[in-house]
Amino acid sequence: MRISDGDVVARRWRNGALLSAVAALLLTGCSAPEAAPTDEPAPITELTSSLPAATTAVDEVRWGLVEGEPRSLVPGADYNFVWPNICDSLLRVSPDFGIEPGLAERAEFVDPVTFVINLRQGVTFSDGSAVTPEDVVFSLERSRQDVMSPYFGAFVLVSTIEVTGENQVTVNFTAPDSIFREAMTGGPGAILSKTFSEQQGPALGTSAGEILCAGPYALESWTPGSDITLVANDGYWDGAPLVQKLVFSFIPDGTTLTNALLAGEIDGAFNVPPASRAAFEDSDEGRLIVGPSTASFSFGPTRTDGPGANPKIRQALSMAIDREQYIQTVLNGLGEAQSTFVAPFTWEGSEAASVYQAAYDALPEPAFDLEAARALVEESGEDPSVPIRIAIPAGSKELSQTAAIVQAAAQQIGLTVEIDERQAADFASLFLPDPAARESVDFLATAGYQETPGVLTYPQLFVLPPEIGGIFNWTAYADPEVVGAVQAARTTPDPVGAAEAYVAAQEIFAPELLQVTLAGAYHTTFLNNRLTGVVTSVASYSSPWALHLGGQ
Amino acid sequence: MGARTVRRLLSKIGALLLTLFLSSVVIFSAVLLTPGDPVVALAGGVRPTPEMIDAIREQYQLDQPVWVQYLSWVGSVLTGDLGTSFVYKTEVIDLIAPRFGITFLLVIYTLVLIVVFGVGSGILAAVRRGRVEQAVLVGTSLGVAMPTFVVAIVLIWIFGRVLGWFPVYGPGEGLLDNLYHLTLPAVSLAVLYIAYISRITRGAVVAQLSSEHVETARVRGIPPSRIFRRHVFLNASPQLLSVAGTTIASLFAVAAIAEHAFGLGGIGVLLTEAAARKDLPVVQTLSLMLVALFVVLNAMVDVVIAIIDPDSARPRRDA
Repeated sequence: MRISDGDVVARRWRNGALLSAVAALLLTGCSAPEAAPTDEPAPITELTSSLPAATTAVDEVRWGLVEGEPRSLVPGADYNFVWPNICDSLLRVSPDFGIEPGLAERAEFVDPVTFVINLRQGVTFSDGSAVTPEDVVFSLERSRQDVMSPYFGAFVLVSTIEVTGENQVTVNFTAPDSIFREAMTGGPGAILSKTFSEQQGPALGTSAGEILCAGPYALESWTPGSDITLVANDGYWDGAPLVQKLVFSFIPDGTTLTNALLAGEIDGAFNVPPASRAAFEDSDEGRLIVGPSTASFSFGPTRTDGPGANPKIRQALSMAIDREQYIQTVLNGLGEAQSTFVAPFTWEGSEAASVYQAAYDALPEPAFDLEAARALVEESGEDPSVPIRIAIPAGSKELSQTAAIVQAAAQQIGLTVEIDERQAADFASLFLPDPAARESVDFLATAGYQETPGVLTYPQLFVLPPEIGGIFNWTAYADPEVVGAVQAARTTPDPVGAAEAYVAAQEIFAPELLQVTLAGAYHTTFLNNRLTGVVTSVASYSSPWALHLGGQ
Repeated sequence: MGARTVRRLLSKIGALLLTLFLSSVVIFSAVLLTPGDPVVALAGGVRPTPEMIDAIREQYQLDQPVWVQYLSWVGSVLTGDLGTSFVYKTEVIDLIAPRFGITFLLVIYTLVLIVVFGVGSGILAAVRRGRVEQAVLVGTSLGVAMPTFVVAIVLIWIFGRVLGWFPVYGPGEGLLDNLYHLTLPAVSLAVLYIAYISRITRGAVVAQLSSEHVETARVRGIPPSRIFRRHVFLNASPQLLSVAGTTIASLFAVAAIAEHAFGLGGIGVLLTEAAARKDLPVVQTLSLMLVALFVVLNAMVDVVIAIIDPDSARPRRDA
């Protein structure tokens, strides 16, 4: 799970808004396509998780990264769309969030505490050298032993990782772990060459170094400030890509990206600015593809006291916000209302999907009821004259609009909200473990998403005590029944049993609104008309989404 | 070289070093004082655990007193080590070098536009009073009021989207393609400066045209073109040159706006992003580079002025 720290996800649509607005003002005489459409955007009726595989070869595809230049290509070192095409994982997330084989032909629990990985025969890194069980042990141990690794948490229940056969690695656990297999579909299961990585040392995966993995593409060059070029790995186990050269350009400005896409100078990009939806839909150059996602916009409490920690205040604010209007204003219609903070797409590919879905459907939809909200403020016992402070990262148009909407809604029910807009580093400091960093605010608004399946992955961070993994549990939420059920869900090997334990917990914690979810955001892709074959769901964060890319 | 010139040169170098030292202290403390913890940048976009924070603080000496951090930084800069970026984990020099070329080219291109159109239109307005002067004055009033990013939007719209004459994104490959790609960014940066320089040129030239020595030259029957070259322009140029020095240095700083709007990825964008992410080594190095550039350019301008107009170097002015 990634929470935007103002630098990760939230920045994805930054600045575009202001520029388009100015452009619209200036150019009304020229009927600017970027101007806000006068009529409401059409509702999205169908979500596309992948485009048909390409059939013709293409020399070069230019891809825009609105997230900017990655810090590193080592899986997990930074969120980006580049590494999943370079480094394959043991398992693969399918576009509809199911689990498929990857570098491992099979990787599964043979008993509740033993996970056996059987590597694919003859699979090689992009330089032609064989992927060995030693590489697997090396890659997994990297995350397990390094407290600096973002994947450290996925390995907390692991006791040993050993080579147990010519093509086999066995992972032993201290307790059953129902989310380990899902983690192996993403960065935690990505395999790097041991020899190569050790030779590279600290330069591994940075612009000054190189990286060797077994994905469909290999790193050719990285020019800091400009682009990263990948070339097809012709020896890829799942067939060579049809694109010879895949060039990633760093375009952190949403408007610049929009212009480059519409002019055909860039072939495609994910997370395109929703504000330019009409221009994308009218384009003759390419098309906008709307896909399912686990991403959502929300705000949540930051400390154990104050109005944010009071569930009644959170419920009141939630009831004062019209979700339909929120989705139109902030996402330009490219999203949907969501009943709790885990998006339904998260369990789309799970064996226990029906259990999760039934429980989700039983949750009340977010209601818009100002009367009831005012009554809740009354009941809360909080002093309404004390301003509530909400922090947002500077430069994110969507979060700035979110905060303004929360502010207006609060005013309707007699509360005062102050917006605290912070620079990237300052906003990100709010996520440090020391609670002192969060004392000056009551809420923070974020956009977050989950890049691999696994329902438990995200909510456990909010409902468990901090010492056993509840790193975002800043209100000291502690319900013994919830803790018991969530822990049971993590340690129940049977997927249906785990789902049942989880939904029992969800029924208790969902009404507490530990995150006030405002909307689920769709995964957006703009792609030039000459191309096809891209994964267009949120799975593109962690799967080789450009494997089938090529000509129509 | 006379003793006086050597003394002047030494005092210039001394002033340069002092300025650099003071700016380094100011920049170092300014970056430290801004809100946000550099540990976040070092953690690489993930939520750090307490163990991770301690490990990072120790590794990057962030647990040391500020003056120790400053001295250690100055020490490594003096030995040619500009440090390692907190965000990209690569040598700062490796981040700056590939980006510098494009910013440099952009600044030079913009400067050419400023000199040709700014100085040109200023002279035109001063020499041809009446309609031409009015047109230049109105144009420059508009120009100084147009923020660079607004100009960029208008240019992208007209020349990129409607007419399709110029690319709207990226620096291109090869010098000619670079120049083609940099045209719109350079124009958008230049507009404001053209207006500004045009007005200054006009003022300076008008002042010279009505000065006594020009009157005298006219009365003596010297041809007007010769009067213009030898008396008017030459005498007006020190004023233009001193403005030019600050203009070039500030262009490096404001280039970020055009780099951002046109996706150029130069040092301007690097600096603004590094500042927002609290990437101390990058911010410090780039800021110091800009300060050094500013000081060096001004010193060079002083020297050129002294060559063109030795009188200005002396503490008396022509009556």
